Amino acid sequence: MILYLLTIVLLILIAPILLSYIKATKMVLFFKRPVPLLQGYRNFSKLFSKETIISEETSAITRYAPFLVLSPLLVTMFFLPPIVGGAYYVSFVDAFTITGLISLSTFFLMLLGLDSASAFGGMGSSRESFISALVEPAMILTIFSVSLMADNLGIGQAGVNLAEHFPKEHMASYLFAGISFFILLMAENGRIPVDNTETHLELTMVHEAMILDLTGVYLAIIETASSIKFVIFASLFASLFMPFGLDFIAPIAFVIFVLKLFFVATLVAVFEVNTAKLRIFKIPNLLGLAIVFAFLSLITFYVLGD
Amino acid sequence: MMLTLLLTPALFMFLVSFLRNENAKYLLALSSFAILFPIVDLFTFVKPYAILGTYLVADKLDTYVLLVSSIVGIGVTLALFDLDKHVKVSPKAYRKFYRFFAIFWVGLIFSILSNHMGIYWIGLELATLSTVYMIKTNHTPAAHKEAWNYMIVGAIAVSLILFGIILMYASAKPILGEEAMQFDLLLKHAKEIPSPFLFEIGFAIATIGMFVKMGFFPMNLWLANIERASFYPVAALFSGILESAVIVGFFRFSQIAMEINYNNLFIFVFIYTILTIFIVSFLIFRAKDFMRLFSLSGIEHMALIVLFWVSGSPFAALLHFGAHAFLKPALFLSTGVLESNGKFRIPGALRGYKGKRGKIFLLLVSLFLLAIISLPPSPMFFSELYGFGAMINTAKESNHMLGMIGAVLFLLILLSIIFYRFVAIYQSMKYEGEDQDKKVYAGELFALIIFAISLAALMLPDTLHYLKTII
Amino acid sequence: MVDFLIGLFLASLIVALFTTRLNGLLLWYAINSLMLGLLALSMGSSIDDDAMILSGVITILMKAIAIPFFLKNISQKFHFSQQIVPKIKVHYAIMLVPVILVFTFYLSEPIVNMIHTHANYMAISISSLFLALLLIMEHSGVVPKVIGFLALENSLFLLGTTATKGMPMLIELGIFFDLLMAIVVINLLFDKEEMRI
Repeated sequence: MILYLLTIVLLILIAPILLSYIKATKMVLFFKRPVPLLQGYRNFSKLFSKETIISEETSAITRYAPFLVLSPLLVTMFFLPPIVGGAYYVSFVDAFTITGLISLSTFFLMLLGLDSASAFGGMGSSRESFISALVEPAMILTIFSVSLMADNLGIGQAGVNLAEHFPKEHMASYLFAGISFFILLMAENGRIPVDNTETHLELTMVHEAMILDLTGVYLAIIETASSIKFVIFASLFASLFMPFGLDFIAPIAFVIFVLKLFFVATLVAVFEVNTAKLRIFKIPNLLGLAIVFAFLSLITFYVLGD
Repeated sequence: MMLTLLLTPALFMFLVSFLRNENAKYLLALSSFAILFPIVDLFTFVKPYAILGTYLVADKLDTYVLLVSSIVGIGVTLALFDLDKHVKVSPKAYRKFYRFFAIFWVGLIFSILSNHMGIYWIGLELATLSTVYMIKTNHTPAAHKEAWNYMIVGAIAVSLILFGIILMYASAKPILGEEAMQFDLLLKHAKEIPSPFLFEIGFAIATIGMFVKMGFFPMNLWLANIERASFYPVAALFSGILESAVIVGFFRFSQIAMEINYNNLFIFVFIYTILTIFIVSFLIFRAKDFMRLFSLSGIEHMALIVLFWVSGSPFAALLHFGAHAFLKPALFLSTGVLESNGKFRIPGALRGYKGKRGKIFLLLVSLFLLAIISLPPSPMFFSELYGFGAMINTAKESNHMLGMIGAVLFLLILLSIIFYRFVAIYQSMKYEGEDQDKKVYAGELFALIIFAISLAALMLPDTLHYLKTII
Repeated sequence: MVDFLIGLFLASLIVALFTTRLNGLLLWYAINSLMLGLLALSMGSSIDDDAMILSGVITILMKAIAIPFFLKNISQKFHFSQQIVPKIKVHYAIMLVPVILVFTFYLSEPIVNMIHTHANYMAISISSLFLALLLIMEHSGVVPKVIGFLALENSLFLLGTTATKGMPMLIELGIFFDLLMAIVVINLLFDKEEMRI
C-alpha cells in the first residue's frame, strides 16, 4: 500500500518536470538554450502568487471547472498499473473507465472554454470536441486489444500480466497497438501534429484557446491537470508497451520507471521536432490512422494468435 | 539445341534493331519470318518433346498455339512494311518497335512452351512489359497515356496471376516439393493435392488476372482504348499473339482445376463469361470506330473460347482460337486501309477500291467481316456449333439443367445482337457513304492472303483431326 | 521475430496509404521493402535456406535502396509535384482498410485449418495485396501508381516467402529480372515524356 501511494506521489511530482524536459529537449534540438527542468514548478509557484481575475460574464462553472478538470485525472492516477512488483494495484478498472474519466476531464475543460463567452473559447472547445471524438474509439480499441493480449480486461492487472508473460506470439498485434497508442498520446496531450501548446496563434490554438481567460490559481490548476494527463499517458505507455523492470527491488524499479517516462518524453520531443503542425481538417487523417491501427491490432490478435 | 534455334531469330532481330542502316528494315523482317522455321520444325517432332529439361516441354497444344502465333507474326511483319504509308512513323520508332518485338518473342516462346508455372509467368511478364513500349511508337499524347494505362493494368493483371501461381504452388508443395510448379506433374497428382480450397482460391485469383488481361468483365474498355491509341499492327499483335499466351495459361491451369473440382470451376467461368459477353455485346452495339469494334469483338471471342474450353469441348475451343487468331489480326491490319481517309468513318469504308489489289482487298475484308460473325464457311461457325453442343451436353448432366439451358439461350440472344450490329456495319460500309480513293499496298495484301490461306488450312480434314487429338 | 517484421510490413503499407507526400510514399515503400528483406533473411537463416537469404539480400539492395533512390531521382528530374492527394477520402479509407482486413482474414479462414505452418501469414499477404491495389486506385499520379505496383510485387514476395517457404531459385531470379525490366520500361516511358515536352 505504501508503494502504491508512493507511486502516485512520484508521478504527480514528476509530471511538471516531464513537460519541462520535453520543452528543454526540443530547445536543445533547435540549438537554443534549454529551459531548466524545474521550470514547471517555477511557473506553478508564480501563478499561485498571482492575483486571480475572473471575467464578469462567466457563471459559476468557471469557478468549479478547473477542479473538475483536475479531479478525474487524479482519480485515474489511482487506477494505473503498478510500477513495482508486489505493490498494491486496482485490478478491476477497464479501458472504458479510464477513457471515460479522461473524457470527463476533457468535457469540463470544454465547458470552461465555452463559459468565458469569448470567441476563442468556443473555437477551442469545438476543436477539442472534434479531436476527442476521434480519439476515444481508437483509445478504447487500443487498450482493449492490449488487455486481450494480457488476458485481462483490467488495466492494472493487464500491466502486471504483460510484465510476467510478454506476448511474444502476438508481436504484430502488440506493435500495432503501440503505434496507435503513441499517436493517441500525441493527440490527447496537444503535442505538435495536432496542437501546439507553445503558441497563441488563433489559427492553431486548441488547448490554449480554452484557457485563454484563466489567470492565477485556476490557470495553475489547469496546467497541473495537463501535465498530469501527460504523465498518465506516458506511464500507461511505459507499463503497457515497455513491460519490464517490475521484478527489481523498489528503488531500482522506481528508477527504471522514471527512465522509461523520460524515454517516452524524449520520443515525443524528437517526434515533435520532426513534424509540422497539421491543419485542423487533416487531423482526422492522423487519428484515422490510429483507429485503423487499433482495429488492425484487434484483428491480428484474433487471426495471428492461436 | 532446339531452344537456341527458337531464340536465334529473336536475338538476331534484337541486335539488328541497333543498326542505323536503311536496309536494316529488310533484315528485321527477314528475322521475323525466320521464327517460323524452327517452330515448324518443332511441330514435326514426336510429342512431348523436352526442350529444356522439365522446364520447357513442347506438346501438341503449345506447338499448335506457337505455330498460329508465328503465322500471325509474319502477317504483322508484312503489314509493317507499309505502315509508314498510312501513318507517320519515324525510322527510329520502327527500329525500337522491332527491338521490343524481339523481347516480346523471347517472352512469348518461354511462356507458351513452358511446362512450369514460374517460367510461364516470367515469359508472360516479359511479353507484357515489352508491349508497353510498342504502344509508345505512336507519338501521340493518347498513346502515351494508354501506354501508362497498359503498364499499370497489365502489371496488376500479371501480378494477380503470380499471386494465384504462388497459392497453387503452396497448395501442392506438401506432396510434390519444389516440382509443384510443373503443369504435367500437377495434372497427374491433381486429386492428391492436400488443400484443394487453397488451389481453387489460387486458381480463381490467377484466372481473374488472366481475364483482366484479356479484357473481361469488369475491365472491358481498357483493351479497346489501348488498341485505339496504338498503331494497328500493335493491335493485331495484341489480339493475335499476346492473348494466345494468356489463353494457353488458362488452358493449362483450368485443366488442373477441372480435375480438382469441375463444378466450381464451371460455374465461376460460366457466370464470368456470360457477364462479359452481356456487357461487351452492348458495347459493340455502341461502337463507333473499327478499332474498338474489333477489339470488343475480340473480347467476346476470347470469352467464347474460354467458355467452350470449360464446357468440355477443347476441340471447339482450339478451333475457335485458331480462327480468331487469324481473323482478328487480319481485320486489325485492314483497318489501316479502311480508316485511311478520315479516322472513324464507317460508312463507305468498303467503297472506292480500284484495280486488282483493291478488288482482292475488298473481297478478303468482306469475307473476314462475315467470317468473324460465324457465317457458315468460316471455321467459327463449326467451332460454335461444337461449342454450344458441348454446353448443352454439360447442361444435361448438371443439376440445374433448365437454368443452364436458359443461360445458353441468353448467350445466343447476346450473340445475335452482335451479329445484327456487324451486319448493319457491313451494310453501312458497303452501301452508305461516298466513294473515296483508297490505296492498298502489297505488304498488307500479302498479309491478308496469308491469313486467308491459314484460315482455309484450318478447315482441312487433317487439321481438324489434329485438333481433335490435342487433348 | 517473423511476426514482428510482418507487422511492420503491414504497418508501413497502411501508413503509405495515408501519405500525401511523394517522398513520404517513397520512404514508406523503402521501409516496406526493407522489412520484407529482413523477413526473408531471418526466415532463411532459421530454416537454413541459402536461396532465401540471397533473395533477401537482393530485395534489400534493389527494392529498399536502388528503386526508391531511382524513383526519387526521376521525380526530381521531371519536377513532379510533391503533393499527392488520395482520391479516396480519408474517412472512407479508414473504413475500407479494416473491411479489407476482416474480409481477407475470413477469406483465408478455411486455409488456416488446412495448412499448419504460417497459415495466417497468408491472410496478411492477401490483405496486403488488396491494400496495394487500394494504393493504386486512390492515386491518379503516375509515380504513386508505380509505387503501388511495386508494393503489390512486395506482397507477392511476402506470400512467396511465408506461404511456400521460398519459391524455386530460378523463379525468384526471374521475378527480379522482370522487375528490372519493368523499371527499364518505366524509365523509357519517362524519357519519352521529356522528349515530347
